[in-house]
Amino acid sequence: MSDQDQDKDPVVHSSLSKPLYFWSALLVLSMVWGLYDEMYGIRPWKSYEARFQKLYARYLANAKVDEVTFEKQIRSAPEYRRLDGATQAAEKAAMPAASAIDKQVNQDLVPKILALNDPFQEVRSHIGSLTYEIEVSKSESRKDSLRKQIVELKNEVHKVRLPDGERPMKFAEMDQQLKDWKNEKATLLQKRVEVMKQADDLRKQRDKYLSDRIPNASADTITAVENSLANFDIRIRQIHIKDVDLVDRCESCHLGTREPVVLTPAAMGGEGVFASHPNKEMLKIHDPEKFGCTPCHGGNGVALSSVEKAHGYNKYWLWPLHHKENIDAGCQQCHAREIVTEMAGGLNDGREIFRLRGCMACHRYEGFDRDADESTSVNQQIRQLDQQKAEWLRDAGFKEQKANNPRTSDADAKKLFSEVNDLKVRSSGIDAKIEQLDMRSASLVREMKKVGPSLKEVRMKLRKEWLPVWLKDPHAWREGTKMPTFRLDDDEIKAIAAFIWQSGVQGAPLPQQKPGDPEKGKEAFETRGCMACHSMGEGAQKQGGTFAANLSREGEKANYDYLVRWVHNPRQRTLPYCAFEKKDLTAEDYQKHGQPFVFDLEHTKCPNDGHELQVQQMTPMPSLRLTEDEARDVASYLMTRKRGNATYQNADYLDDPALKNKGLDKVRFYGCAGCHEIAGLEEEQRIGTELTKEGSKPIERLDFALLGHKAEEEGWETHKGFFEHKLANPAVYDQGKEKAKQDRLKMPNFNLSKPEIDAVTTFLEGSVDASVPARYFYAPPDQRQDIIDGWWVVRKYNCMGCHRVHVAQTTIFDTLPRYQDPDWKDQKPPTLIGEGARVNPEWLMRFLNNPALSETDTNRDGVRQYLRVRMPTFSFSDGEIRKLVRFFEALSSQAQPFIAEKLEPLTDQERTMARQLFTSEGAPCLKCHMTGDPKHDVRATAPNFTVAKERLKPGWTKRWMLDPALMSPGTAMPSGLFRREADRWVFAGPTPASFNGYPKDHAELLVRYMFQFTPDELNRLRAGAGK
Amino acid sequence: MKKIWIGVGLACAMTLAGCGGSNAPESAKKEAAAPAAPAGGGTGVPDEANGATITGKVAFDGTKPVMKTIDMSAVPACMRAHTTPQKSEEVVVNDNNTLKNVFVWVKAGLPDQNWQVPTTAVQLDQSGCMYKPHVIGVMAGQNIEVKNDDPTNHNIHPQPTVNQDWNESQAPGSEPKMKSFPRQEVMVPVKCNIHPWMRAYIGVVSHPFFAVTGDDGTFTLKGLPPGTYTVEIVHERYGKQEQQVTVGAKESKTLDFTVKG
Repeated sequence: MSDQDQDKDPVVHSSLSKPLYFWSALLVLSMVWGLYDEMYGIRPWKSYEARFQKLYARYLANAKVDEVTFEKQIRSAPEYRRLDGATQAAEKAAMPAASAIDKQVNQDLVPKILALNDPFQEVRSHIGSLTYEIEVSKSESRKDSLRKQIVELKNEVHKVRLPDGERPMKFAEMDQQLKDWKNEKATLLQKRVEVMKQADDLRKQRDKYLSDRIPNASADTITAVENSLANFDIRIRQIHIKDVDLVDRCESCHLGTREPVVLTPAAMGGEGVFASHPNKEMLKIHDPEKFGCTPCHGGNGVALSSVEKAHGYNKYWLWPLHHKENIDAGCQQCHAREIVTEMAGGLNDGREIFRLRGCMACHRYEGFDRDADESTSVNQQIRQLDQQKAEWLRDAGFKEQKANNPRTSDADAKKLFSEVNDLKVRSSGIDAKIEQLDMRSASLVREMKKVGPSLKEVRMKLRKEWLPVWLKDPHAWREGTKMPTFRLDDDEIKAIAAFIWQSGVQGAPLPQQKPGDPEKGKEAFETRGCMACHSMGEGAQKQGGTFAANLSREGEKANYDYLVRWVHNPRQRTLPYCAFEKKDLTAEDYQKHGQPFVFDLEHTKCPNDGHELQVQQMTPMPSLRLTEDEARDVASYLMTRKRGNATYQNADYLDDPALKNKGLDKVRFYGCAGCHEIAGLEEEQRIGTELTKEGSKPIERLDFALLGHKAEEEGWETHKGFFEHKLANPAVYDQGKEKAKQDRLKMPNFNLSKPEIDAVTTFLEGSVDASVPARYFYAPPDQRQDIIDGWWVVRKYNCMGCHRVHVAQTTIFDTLPRYQDPDWKDQKPPTLIGEGARVNPEWLMRFLNNPALSETDTNRDGVRQYLRVRMPTFSFSDGEIRKLVRFFEALSSQAQPFIAEKLEPLTDQERTMARQLFTSEGAPCLKCHMTGDPKHDVRATAPNFTVAKERLKPGWTKRWMLDPALMSPGTAMPSGLFRREADRWVFAGPTPASFNGYPKDHAELLVRYMFQFTPDELNRLRAGAGK
Repeated sequence: MKKIWIGVGLACAMTLAGCGGSNAPESAKKEAAAPAAPAGGGTGVPDEANGATITGKVAFDGTKPVMKTIDMSAVPACMRAHTTPQKSEEVVVNDNNTLKNVFVWVKAGLPDQNWQVPTTAVQLDQSGCMYKPHVIGVMAGQNIEVKNDDPTNHNIHPQPTVNQDWNESQAPGSEPKMKSFPRQEVMVPVKCNIHPWMRAYIGVVSHPFFAVTGDDGTFTLKGLPPGTYTVEIVHERYGKQEQQVTVGAKESKTLDFTVKG
């Protein structure tokens, strides 16, 4: 077409090429965009994988250079070179013999065996098939003919072609020959192992030398990882657990999680997403192939389209990823029955606050009312067993009647009588069971504790004027106290204080105590162990434990005479309480029955109805077995603890009877009886909502009230957000609401710190309806259950305030300034790590029951009398002692029940040797260990050998002597007392002449000596040493 | 789909190779160099010819405290080693009214570098059931040779807070022990559990500028590079004091301390 035509042609003239170009460009762009979105946009994980591959390869290349240089250094060490040289020399030396064997086996025996095997197998299978025919054939003649065939076959001579020529052989010959050759081969191969043994051992030593010195991945591992990275393909990486129907694709982005090379965010160019899982130990216990990721971490394991969705932070997703500060929340759903879960520190803290601060007093949480729940269950079991027994006895009666009937045949009568006897015997078994349950029931009365002090005793214990001040704001008066701040107006405070005051019980007047010495009391308070639970000092001056109250202002509130009684025996109660009658018994109740008014752990039955009484204060505080003088000193010291300028207004209105009823209503309304024992309110129910599954309560049922919109805008309309805001300010959801006073939120303010709020939030966030089947729950069928049970008791009595019970734990003593001094370090209570392996469980039971280990001399510690601090008497119930002993045994994997190890008796010569060693200048045993000499014992730092036999286990004792620092770093007992000589331990210092030629283990000799040690023996040694 | 990726990948690879390649070896070198330095023994040594010198004394102001007499009666072997009863060495005031056994060290101000660890060991003897000397200073990583001159068993139990605690028995007549502390710590108390009166202190410092005052109460820190330093003195009973001082090359300065009794 010419230009002229174009000008004229309207079609050509009005060209569509521009719109066409525009639209086609748009089409191409949208296609590009479509492809991009298909491949990248909705698959962000792809770019993660690409980045990972690049960063990882770069990191490996760097790491390898360092690692190779590092390993080269090790390889150039003289020891490695020696081992390497020796390995090569040994290999070279062994080679001729080894290759001769190889040659004989490979070139001679193996071809012969192969050549003979085929013809032999052929005949054997033929015989086998004939034998089978004999077995299935029915006719005897046929069987005979088949047997004949077999005999013929066995006698037939086969020409077997062997490597060294043809040989005629019968079946039996072939069989024998084959066996011989195979045996010969086995013998030769065994010989080869022996020939190479030295070289193999050396190579293992050499390789171990290298691997022992490589803390990270070795260069070989890195190379292997690099090779596999070369074939890295970009694909979805998922864990699929079929039986739970769980699909977790987290590792499509979190690619470094399980890499053999440990990856830190820094190593991966600051991208934390590629870091390795920080806790390898945890992954070993919870293998992701079995547990997946989301059951522990939360999030939406299937989602891949965005980070927000994969982490489950989009709206309506019920299980969002746990934040870093709540990371342990995921443990709770399977470990719901524990108070302490290993490696879950945050969760443990949350549970402890929930228990100790009294959350559980208002909110039921399944598993936390262990004592009350068990008590209900025990009583129910007793009722059921009573019924069962009655039924059996009734049955037995009917049967007996029938048997006695003359019309019943002798045989039937005999049978019936035997059935009757069976029923009687079985019912006697029920008696035994009921007896146990009755004992348990009595135990449980002792085990039940209250979070706060008993308010029955207020009239004897407190200054009247202090009560309203305290109620107004407990935290203002005593910072950090367990008692929360209620939103009370002045009228409510007056009414509550009046009710509490007037409901207090009135016992016999307290004996008037003479004043003690506050200086001595201070020393006792700081060194006897009080501070493991109590703190002293305010603000930055505060020292001591947080388990119990801060006593800096005790002198402002307490009555001295009562305080003396309390310090002397905190469990002493003014009046016993009968739960059956719901009444505090007085002397009159006892008088009516002609009984003396005596109630203690030996006298626990109600004189009116024989039911078990509450004879103790329901406090976990133990008795420190102080003398009365010492108790007066401590109480006097505490009475000096007050602010100089504190004034209290007159509070005579507390005696106004008109206020009492109003106060009762308020006390009920605020649920005071959840934490305190209050006369008349012992059976009060909880006032809060149950929290066992609070973490999976649908979000719309959490009442954000007027803050809903704000929460949504600020991104905290989640369980976590709800809990955090509620815990920081329990009244927060009343904001802006028009409510009558009685309709307002009741929860008081616990003044929790940020870490405390995080811990409780972790606990609540984890309190969910489990997303995994029940078989995933941690309910071990073995000794580990004893560990779970034991922790509840350990926590209840704050054993960890004084003792290290598990590794990576500090005690309060570790934080006290006084105990940083080198001399005071030896005054710390003993560590209990490995206690189960150390002590005889029967001894431990006795000790827990009576730590003085004496009925008469109770003003002492039974084992370590040199310690200023002292194991107190907790008045544990039998059940608690059982749980504690089993706990320690289980932690140390000790077999139950305990059977003592038998030790070889000492010969007379050995006894003499041991005595000489014990008292020689080279052996320092009696310098530190107590000897019973009071002058020496005040300076001693270790227990008396006379208790060893009863208390210790021999195996532990030997391990302890060899390397005490291994079990208890920092211990006063030195290491290096023995050195290894061939296969035995010998004393490292100079030994007495009598040891010359003694071939046995010295450490073992001393253990055997110690386990027959008596006080007489000790006296003899002391006399011998001239002391 | 794979083909598209190969195409796109090729283009990307070229650009990536350009920027990715250059950084990596550089950072690798840095990482490799850092940990290698201390293992090699460090570089710096005090330059006594051109460096600065700080001398001074620690005066004692107040009445000389009466030290407790040590009761060694529980261990006859220790008693026999002395003709007169031994006094505790907690506070030793010299005749010229200066304080002995004060650890003096440069707490801050040194350039950030590694210092060569002396190969000679510092002696800590157990003699007559006393540690001799009562206070020593060592560099981190420097050997301490612990000897037992007594006919009785001792145990050496340093109680550091940032180093590892150890506690070893040393029988009479046994080989000296060679020990060192890898981290700086002023001071590490040392005790013997068997003879509870025995006490020594070790100042562990990451550089060579430290001293312990002797019978004349003086100290000298030699070979310091020019700079401004915080010099601290540490005494087991009287605690810590510090002073700032600026020194130039070859300069000598005097820095006196007074401890109130």
